[in-house]
Amino acid sequence: MKQEISALMDGELFEDEADKLLNRIGRGTVAHKDWEIYHLIGDVLRQPEHIHCDLSARVRDRMRDEPTVLAPRSHAVKQKIRTVALSAAASLAAVGVVAWMSQQIGTESPSQMAMQNNAMRPVSIQIQPKSNDYLMAHQEFSPSTDMNGGASYIRMVSYGPEGK
Amino acid sequence: MRLLAPPCGKLLGGLLLAVAANAYAGESQACLDWLKTVAFAGHQTDYTGVFVYQYDNRVETSRITHLAEADSEYEKIESLDGPKREIVRHHGHVWSYNNHKMIQMDSHQGRGRFPSLLPDQLSRLGSNYQARREGMERVAGYDAQVISFQPRDSLRYTHKIWVHTDSGLLLKAAVLSDKNQAVEQYAFTQLQIGGKIDRSWLNGTASSSSEHNSSATVHGPDLLDPESAKYVASPTNSGWVADAIPAGFKKTMEILRPMHGRHAPVTQIVFSDGLSAISIFIEPDDGDEDDVDGLSSRGAVNLYHKISNNHLITVVGEVPPRTVMQVIDSVRFNGR
Repeated sequence: MKQEISALMDGELFEDEADKLLNRIGRGTVAHKDWEIYHLIGDVLRQPEHIHCDLSARVRDRMRDEPTVLAPRSHAVKQKIRTVALSAAASLAAVGVVAWMSQQIGTESPSQMAMQNNAMRPVSIQIQPKSNDYLMAHQEFSPSTDMNGGASYIRMVSYGPEGK
Repeated sequence: MRLLAPPCGKLLGGLLLAVAANAYAGESQACLDWLKTVAFAGHQTDYTGVFVYQYDNRVETSRITHLAEADSEYEKIESLDGPKREIVRHHGHVWSYNNHKMIQMDSHQGRGRFPSLLPDQLSRLGSNYQARREGMERVAGYDAQVISFQPRDSLRYTHKIWVHTDSGLLLKAAVLSDKNQAVEQYAFTQLQIGGKIDRSWLNGTASSSSEHNSSATVHGPDLLDPESAKYVASPTNSGWVADAIPAGFKKTMEILRPMHGRHAPVTQIVFSDGLSAISIFIEPDDGDEDDVDGLSSRGAVNLYHKISNNHLITVVGEVPPRTVMQVIDSVRFNGR
């Protein structure tokens, strides 16, 4: 279900599948929650500077509804187990988010990946014709000359942008 | 039987491992043998053909003619599109014909023949790349064996070659990035192996006739650019070092050489991993404003200029940009 929602958000579902899933999201509260959370995570990942999500009011409300327990703790051991269980649950949740994130990254189409990589690559311009002498000097001792033979020398005299 | 079983299993496992290792070593050896064939065939075969060179969303078409004469090899490459450019290689020397002028481009090392693959180069290649045969394909009408060389780290490119199964000539070569995208490739579109090939350009007489007037021919030293002929390259120990050369690259030479367009001799240090090379050039900074700092590239070759302590340092290599940057950042003078 979660995977399907994620796929839907990436636009990777066929039309009939998407319709079916949207129906289910509209009816089921759990699916609807997942849908909201995924969108929130997506927003945060994409543009964290625009997220203004104030949770404090809701947290306060929930704490007000929480009954105050005045009884002393019966067993320290029990408490411990519960902490372990909780932390296990927390780490499971973390694993869930990480898995989801990696899936997000993994399902990107190659063209999307290429676009991102270009954006991240160091700025690189065409080698200027005046630097051809360095290329030529390098080529003289490069093993690629042994393999490609003289053909690799065409690189040295490529006319590049200025010759166009 | 119960007692025998565990050692039997181990033995079998070991045997399987050994067989697998052998198969791997065999595969690697077969590919290296192909490479040797390519290098040999490239030197010994007469051929002429048209090839395309594709890089950075550009395509250039050139004609190459290679002749193995009794005394030495001759090779001519002429561009078929764009401005007319020509390169002639003979007897270990390289001439470039550009703007109606012939310029000798090499270091005057005077090597008698073209370089060819050395045994230690092949073994280095084997330890830095995983070589694999990838079936047969057809290139320029010939059947070719496809061989790929996958690097063991991301500081190098993947190389792929297509070798003519009969002659051993290289029909196509591609350099791939770690995303498996072609960074550059050469491919013959037409190739004639042996047979009747025009030899008129082999001696200087062709240049006197008007129709060959613009054609580069191999001349005596009188036509060489006197500026570049002043020095001859000599081995040196400059004291310059680079600490961050990627593993697997070995220093193959360090020379003080003349370079066209440069007033002072230039120190060149070359490192090779068997398939690609990195050159570091060090020269006094002549204050030329045009020597811009930074990275530039052409196909698989990346170049980086940097001025450091009154020296212009240039790193060139058929390696990814980050490798070139890693190397140049580690260049320093270590004293003589």
